Amino acid sequence: MKIFQVALGILAAIGGFVDIGDLVFNVSAGATFGYQLLWVVVIGVVGIIVYSEMCGRVAAVSGKAVFDAVRERMGFKVGLMTLVAAQVVNLMTLTAEVGGVAICLQLLSGLPYRWLIVLAGIAIAVVVWVTSFEWIERIFGYGGLCLLVFAVAAVKLHPVWGAVGHGFVPHVETESPLLYAYFAVGLLGAAMTPYEVYFYSSGGVEEQWGPKDLGLNKANAMIGYGLGGFLSFALMIVGGSLFLDKGIEPEFLGSIAIGAEVPLGQIGLLLAIVGILFAVGGAAIDTLFSGAYNLAQFLGWEWGRYRAQTGAPRFTVTWIVLLVLAVGAVMTGVDPVQLTEYAVIFSAVALPLTYIPILLVANDRSYMREYANGRLANTLGLIYLAVIGVISLAAVPLLILTNVGQN
Amino acid sequence: MSETIDLGLRIVDRQVIDSEDRRCGKVDDLALEGGPGEALEVVAILSGPDVWRTRAGLVGRVSAWLGGGGRVRVPWDEVADVDVHVKLRKRAHELGLGRGDDRLRPFIEKIPDADR
Repeated sequence: MKIFQVALGILAAIGGFVDIGDLVFNVSAGATFGYQLLWVVVIGVVGIIVYSEMCGRVAAVSGKAVFDAVRERMGFKVGLMTLVAAQVVNLMTLTAEVGGVAICLQLLSGLPYRWLIVLAGIAIAVVVWVTSFEWIERIFGYGGLCLLVFAVAAVKLHPVWGAVGHGFVPHVETESPLLYAYFAVGLLGAAMTPYEVYFYSSGGVEEQWGPKDLGLNKANAMIGYGLGGFLSFALMIVGGSLFLDKGIEPEFLGSIAIGAEVPLGQIGLLLAIVGILFAVGGAAIDTLFSGAYNLAQFLGWEWGRYRAQTGAPRFTVTWIVLLVLAVGAVMTGVDPVQLTEYAVIFSAVALPLTYIPILLVANDRSYMREYANGRLANTLGLIYLAVIGVISLAAVPLLILTNVGQN
Repeated sequence: MSETIDLGLRIVDRQVIDSEDRRCGKVDDLALEGGPGEALEVVAILSGPDVWRTRAGLVGRVSAWLGGGGRVRVPWDEVADVDVHVKLRKRAHELGLGRGDDRLRPFIEKIPDADR
């Protein structure tokens, strides 16, 4: 029974791995560089495994979620700046995901986009209000599994497998190295989305994980995120097989879905749109809660979805306000796909701010005891500290130099 | 509790929870007492936006203003334990903590299904 439950959790994690950032960056990277950047996705996926395993372990052993650790380790002033940076990126991401939900609803229904933005906002609020956390995770995780259609599409498009294999070997073979670097930073930023980690660690605290759950934590991180990474590969392979050298830039979520329609017909298109709908819808809920978790944890408010809404009023009001802000922002007509690019790049900039405190706490034996980082976790932790530092510094210059990837 | 603790690292900025494990603020600062030459003694925990004013310069003053001010002084005798959280002996409202949640609760309660 236990194994069955773990398996269900992992399935949900796979379906929940992909969000609008992964969709946009993986397919665009494929359309621009073919399979060449697959190796970067591997680095990104291992990165999110390392980061989330550490956060989950800190949550299980010390009962501290990410912004508890940030506040304790960085103090009020630097912690506050970290909070502001994280919340800005989070709200951008939330806006993009809500816009993504509205786009999918439009593709499915053909109704006017503006109505569907409001409908998307209301639907998200109602789902969050009436559904238990467990069911939210299941509904959106399993719905997101429709994205597996891209794995079938990737095979059906008959890519040159030798070239795909070569893509997993780190190499730089291009006449536009800046654009290549921009996509590399974007892919890493999209794979290591911090909101997933805020959400994951807060969920661990809410479920009252203890040291006995460390195995579950490891399995969730390694298998859930690891297999979720396969969806990223599939998206890039589809992008590379279908759009490369054809002058097609997948600028719309609809064109990403066409990646499944070409080899699989109408049913492929439908599954792709439904998969994208659940993936971005689930991500919208995750980011929504992450924003409320972060603020509440930084200020010491009561928080949590497992308590009734009345148990944590400021937390509840925070997510409602965030949702209203995001719906309002989408209504201004901002393009969700473009916004996603900015959100992913700025999230790469801010990544060290939340990564460093977690790395410090995970090493603090005074409350991590024997569960503090061992040699492997620290070696990986330090390697990724360097990776995150480099992408953080390179992100904005590359954004400007490549004109947001347009070159 | 170990014999010596680093106040800056182990107490300041920690989560405060009340006797019913309700989260009710952070240790925003500590009040210390002691004359010249005497050992300093921690006499109270300070919590609330007004405390940020003295801790974080302009950033602190702006956030104190945004946070609506307010400062609660919890005597050290009310602290039951310090481990990963700072645990209090009484309930939050008895000590003047967690008021923001209490103020908003009536509004949230009006929405159907809020207490499930």
